[in-house]
Amino acid sequence: MKTEVQQENNTTIVKVTGSVDALTAADLSKVLTTQITDGRTNLVVDLTGVEFMSSAGLRTLLGAVKEARSNGGDLRIISTNPGVDKVLKMSGFNNIAKVFPSQAEAVSSFGS
Amino acid sequence: MISTHRMTRAAYLESLEVFRGFIKERCAAVPGVTDEILYDMQLAVDEACTNIISHGYAGMDPGSIILDLNIDSDKITISLTDFGHAFEPSSTPIPDVDAPIEERELGGFGLFFIQQSMDEIDYQVTEDGNKMILTKFLRKLDGG
Repeated sequence: MKTEVQQENNTTIVKVTGSVDALTAADLSKVLTTQITDGRTNLVVDLTGVEFMSSAGLRTLLGAVKEARSNGGDLRIISTNPGVDKVLKMSGFNNIAKVFPSQAEAVSSFGS
Repeated sequence: MISTHRMTRAAYLESLEVFRGFIKERCAAVPGVTDEILYDMQLAVDEACTNIISHGYAGMDPGSIILDLNIDSDKITISLTDFGHAFEPSSTPIPDVDAPIEERELGGFGLFFIQQSMDEIDYQVTEDGNKMILTKFLRKLDGG
């Protein structure tokens, strides 16, 4: 799994590629926590490059949504992989956090 | 039975990717296996192995996980054997997927995802180890 952090307007985009499983989820958690701790609480996690995500990845995202919101921000998701979408839907995650099909829509949802 | 395959790996998190890759390699070209079915099987195997690694062998030296794959024309059966602590699937709480975020537990989705992804789940504690047997049907059964 790899992550790449980009800044666009008032939003921080964390682009994730590879697999988010019980081995790699801790690394993603560190990256997201670092952003929030450093005050970048408007987060978009781009999962379009993720080929596999398990409940370990979901747990990381749920924890980061809670952390971002308690710091005055939010965490939103970009997902286009049907398998990843299914994991988000099965868990009811898409009722808790906003999931977008594109980066433009996710970033603009935070306003400028 | 069309074919049977076996893979044995040490119960380390590094093995998760290897097991998922094995499922993909052996099943992707099987007639009736769609991308969705493939993901479901990879997810179930990943979650079951994560439970074995994190809980089954907790407090013990990590043993092995044996994955037996039986491919039939109408179903795929995956059997995972370990030699750690047994668990009782029916005593595992079902997560509330409709709960608001304030009330959400972060974990507890592993077994739930296995149940959602596979058509049949059986768990047996035997002299030859703990066996989780996961079945995915490749065709809709009559009357279903």
